Amino acid sequence: MPYYQTWEEFARAAEKLYLTAPMKVRVVLKYRHCDGNLRIKVTDDAVCLQYKTDQAQDVKKIEKLHGKLMRLMVSKESGAMETD
Amino acid sequence: MVLLENDSFLTELTRLFQKCRTSGSVAITLKKYDGRTKPVPRKGQQESYEPADNKCLLRASDGKKKISTVVSTKEVIKFQMAYSNLLRAHMDGLKKKDKKSKSKKTKATQ
Repeated sequence: MPYYQTWEEFARAAEKLYLTAPMKVRVVLKYRHCDGNLRIKVTDDAVCLQYKTDQAQDVKKIEKLHGKLMRLMVSKESGAMETD
Repeated sequence: MVLLENDSFLTELTRLFQKCRTSGSVAITLKKYDGRTKPVPRKGQQESYEPADNKCLLRASDGKKKISTVVSTKEVIKFQMAYSNLLRAHMDGLKKKDKKSKSKKTKATQ
């Protein structure tokens, strides 16, 4: 199961995967305070994308991506991309 | 699995984070939800539910206790603000990059 090395690649791949299969994709966040690390996984049960970090600066990025995907899920998607 | 209102979910999630500060992990799952309350029938297309397009399901667990909530378009803005603040406030045990690089070497448990 590959862990992405850069956040940008992971974020792009995650969003792309969600847009191809919105009903199947789930996002899993696992935080361990005792070990000081955070992992995020985006999967459609066929493809699995993972990213792990122990850096505080990544918390904001992960939380933003999480929020973005949440908003995509609750919006009525007639088209995939929101232009304008 | 306990299904809660958005506010109760946030309260319980805070408690999960506080409980797991010394050991254990908090797992949060996010998935698009179409509003079905009955399992998918094996035979026959008994689609008695109306597929809703504007909801998502959020689950959280510390390994023992499980909580969940459903967020829809009307609640998402308020919920997301509170939720982001919660995450940022609690996920503070990670290393901060400073120029002097005083990074503690954490013991790797094998």
